[in-house]
Amino acid sequence: MPPVQTRPVGVVADKAAEFASGSPLPAALLNRRCRPEELPFALSSELADAPAQIGQERAADAVEFALRMRQKGYNVYALGPAGTGRHRLVDGLLKQRAATEATPPDLCYVNNFADPQKPHRLELPAGQGAGLAAAMKKLVDELRIALPAAFERDEYRARREVVDQHFKSHSEEGFGGLQQRAEAKGITLIRTPMGLALAPKRDGKVMQSEDFEALPEEERKRIQADLEAAQTELEAIMRQVPQWEREHREALRALNRDTTGFAVANLIGGMRADYGDLPDVIEYLDAVERDIKENVDDFLPQPQQMTPAEGPPGAMASEATVADMKFRRYQVNVIVDNGGRQGAPVIYEDNPTHQMLVGRVEHLARFGALITDFNLIVAGALHRANGGYLILDAERLIVGAYGWQSLKRALQSGEIRIESLEQALSMASTVTLQPEPIPIDVKVVLVGSPLLYYLLSAHDEDFVSLFKIAADFEDRVERSDAATLLYARVVATIVRREHLRAFDRDAVARVIEQAARLIGDSERLSTSLRATVELLQEADQLAADVGKEVVGAAEVQAAIDAHTRRGDRIYRRMQEEIGRKTIRIETDGEQVGQINGLSVISFGALAFGNPTRITAQVRMGRGEVVDIEREGQLGGPLHSKGVLILNGFLGGRFGQTRPLSLHASLVFEQSYGGVDGDSASAAELFALLSALSEVPIRQSFAVTGSVDQHGIIQAIGGVNEKIEGFFDVCRTAGLTGRQGVVIPASNVKHLMLRADVVAAAEAGQFRVIPMATIDQGLELLTGVPIDTINRKIAARLDDFAAKAAALARNVAGGLP
Amino acid sequence: MSGTISRIVVALDAVSENRAAIVAAVRLAAQWNAPVHGVFVEDDDLLRLAVLPFARQVTLGFGVEALDVTQAERQLRAYAERARRDLAEAARASGIEWSFEIVRDTTVGVAAAATDFLVAGISTRPIDGHFRMQCRWWSVIEPSPASFLLAREGRLRGTIVGLLQRRGPDAERLLAVAAQLAETAEARLTVIGPPELAGEEGFAAWLSQILAGHRVQVEISPTLSTPEALIRQIGELDCRLLAIAADAAPPPEQLRDLVARISCDVLVVR
Repeated sequence: MPPVQTRPVGVVADKAAEFASGSPLPAALLNRRCRPEELPFALSSELADAPAQIGQERAADAVEFALRMRQKGYNVYALGPAGTGRHRLVDGLLKQRAATEATPPDLCYVNNFADPQKPHRLELPAGQGAGLAAAMKKLVDELRIALPAAFERDEYRARREVVDQHFKSHSEEGFGGLQQRAEAKGITLIRTPMGLALAPKRDGKVMQSEDFEALPEEERKRIQADLEAAQTELEAIMRQVPQWEREHREALRALNRDTTGFAVANLIGGMRADYGDLPDVIEYLDAVERDIKENVDDFLPQPQQMTPAEGPPGAMASEATVADMKFRRYQVNVIVDNGGRQGAPVIYEDNPTHQMLVGRVEHLARFGALITDFNLIVAGALHRANGGYLILDAERLIVGAYGWQSLKRALQSGEIRIESLEQALSMASTVTLQPEPIPIDVKVVLVGSPLLYYLLSAHDEDFVSLFKIAADFEDRVERSDAATLLYARVVATIVRREHLRAFDRDAVARVIEQAARLIGDSERLSTSLRATVELLQEADQLAADVGKEVVGAAEVQAAIDAHTRRGDRIYRRMQEEIGRKTIRIETDGEQVGQINGLSVISFGALAFGNPTRITAQVRMGRGEVVDIEREGQLGGPLHSKGVLILNGFLGGRFGQTRPLSLHASLVFEQSYGGVDGDSASAAELFALLSALSEVPIRQSFAVTGSVDQHGIIQAIGGVNEKIEGFFDVCRTAGLTGRQGVVIPASNVKHLMLRADVVAAAEAGQFRVIPMATIDQGLELLTGVPIDTINRKIAARLDDFAAKAAALARNVAGGLP
Repeated sequence: MSGTISRIVVALDAVSENRAAIVAAVRLAAQWNAPVHGVFVEDDDLLRLAVLPFARQVTLGFGVEALDVTQAERQLRAYAERARRDLAEAARASGIEWSFEIVRDTTVGVAAAATDFLVAGISTRPIDGHFRMQCRWWSVIEPSPASFLLAREGRLRGTIVGLLQRRGPDAERLLAVAAQLAETAEARLTVIGPPELAGEEGFAAWLSQILAGHRVQVEISPTLSTPEALIRQIGELDCRLLAIAADAAPPPEQLRDLVARISCDVLVVR
């Protein structure tokens, strides 16, 4: 028999002083309690607020560094699990920084009088935008009074009369003179529907045709000659009329400009003085003044074309509407008013779509048509955050309608261009506004998952150049005394912030224990505060339900239990079916090639342990271990890897001097879904070794742990849920004191078991036993020394090999 | 006087300011609860001219063009239809009864009875914004016994000026109409007359008695003796309607001259 390599069973180095591998763990190691008596307060209300997030120094340093960097691209991606306080920490740091920075200017859009399709932007010192808007409204209101008054003054009327008379005299001299000269020759000037005509007259009326024909020829010729001459003169006069009209219009326009200019200059002069240090505003006021002079008619009462009785009701816009439309071009659209702000803005946009980020141009329905102007420009989050900071949810940004593309474009170009999505995608054919772009100076912080961060880093080059700083959030913190006390202060802070009842120290201690349980580690505390906040709120409600002023540990535990109960319907159903033997799990007796494995199944936020019967069969073969789960396409890659490791272990231990002429198959019995992970590989190896050695395994145990090729047991996840899952099965079947779970020794530090499990262990009804190696576990599970088992396996393999060799010889010799 | 008005006759043609006349006529018809009758007069002179072989018209838009009867008649029909439509719309909107006819003989067609009230445009449409031919309705107005209004705008704003010569039935009729119009239009009423009339004993009481029942702001102002002075006074009063009592109306030639030189509507109450 070849020698068998084994590892010594001994004390596990990890926690060596506290437990020995192969022996049941003392109850104290099954749940590291937070002792209330060690907490230096009676009620949470005695504690001061926690200074910052727990354990997020690295992330905070990263954010603070990014805030100091003013160069382009130093935007931040805050990555970490949900509930770790990413938003709160980022928001707090940004606001702290923003408070020390200058308040950015107000952003306004005003009419571009030269091209209304391209509104101009105006920047004014914070708070002055609204003032300018009000001043412009007042200016228009005053002009609507002052200009009509100016045009009603006798002085204007007299000047206009002079102009009108001057040009009227052209007409009178022209047409009137012609009329007089024609009359003297017996010709009358008559008004036709379309123009003027000349006709010979007799007795004050146009001469009849027969009368004209009856005239002597000489007389007819004279009349015709006179008519032609007069008509030539009339044509000449008519040709001058358009010129007279032009000159008249221009003269009136000049008069109106002068009249307007004087009135406007008085009113607008005051505004110029107010904004004298803002050249852009002065330039705008100059444009306003020019436009008012050119369009003074808008300010004057319009001659009514129809009396109200003559027009159908509603056919015309109301006077107020018409006035509103006419004077909209003098309004100032303050899209960002930083008036009441102290420091730089910190904006959180919870719907980061294209329009919500870069703004939009809205439209008004007027008489069946959609119209727009610069007054309908609406700011986006980038405008509001300009000069400060913008916080966005990365996932929402990516899935939001073109939000990510728009943000990148703005950050790359350094300006915000307000355009519709159709324009941005070059799909729009209608003419709309093209507001002047606004230069951007904003630091963007994306808050998102690590997965999205890594995906963007790998697949989006723009992301790498635009978001150079990663603020990586921890999901756990070491459970030191200082951290425990800090956590208590966090609890107190949340209690105050959420306006909850005070928690006594027993309750706080229970909350802290739950924080360790949440992360599945007795030496760590979860930094994910979302679940803690919910626990505090629910415990508070339960206290309120029973009329308690202070929340105690009972309410906290009740809240935990209630939370579990709300989500454990399927788990309870599975437990029930195990109890009814529908699902076969043995909790007593011995079986060859059969063991209780443990897996974890998740239902939403809850996870539960699920015992599974694992069986192994061996026969003579060619040295392969078949994973039936994989063959049935139910096994994931990690599970397959675990099974292949078993091959390695068998080869290493038993294949050095003999061929492994076996065929083994492994299966999760009554498993109908996918299986992945390697946490059952140790159990599979135990089942395989039992089948090979034909040494039975005690069914009162369940096993979890992964194994390497040397037979070393390695840590797995979900150890608490797995133990509790098997405990529930055993309790249903009846606790015997022989039942227990064998776990990797390196998982002992993760134990934060339920109180009922700990109590059963303390009473000797249930055991949790750590193991360091396969050999140690196998002895525990079989009660047979490992050397004996190894010899049996070696003998079995030798037998397989001999038979295989004989068979090969027979085949080679042609014997049947 | 309103009680004696049987209908409002509005004279229309292809060259006058028909719209102002229609607006004024409909307003008066509504005020006096009388029907309005539109008479569109086809211009006899135009048709005579169109028959002549050398007939031409000169327009601003198209220069010189031949004018024949067919073309003239088409143009007249088009203008008549427009006038009918405008009258119909205005009358319907005010809920008054209306009728319309087209005539060719001015005198026969428009000649109004004493119980009619005649309304017409005060001048032709301008040819270039300025040059207007004079009112072409004098041949109808002067021989008619009816009261008449020559409309320039057709609306009343500002001040109505009532021109009196003496106390008597003509003046009373005028003041009653003027006060009624002023009250409706919320216009001021300024009564002007010879200085001796305003200074007559009991004039104010007489005026108050006539205007009793009308909520109207009245001023009394002596008029000056010469036509030039009257025209200046009308301008200074910002007069929108000059209402003239029958016995204060100047002779026809002077009235034509006055109407040509002032820029307001003119009402003569007979």
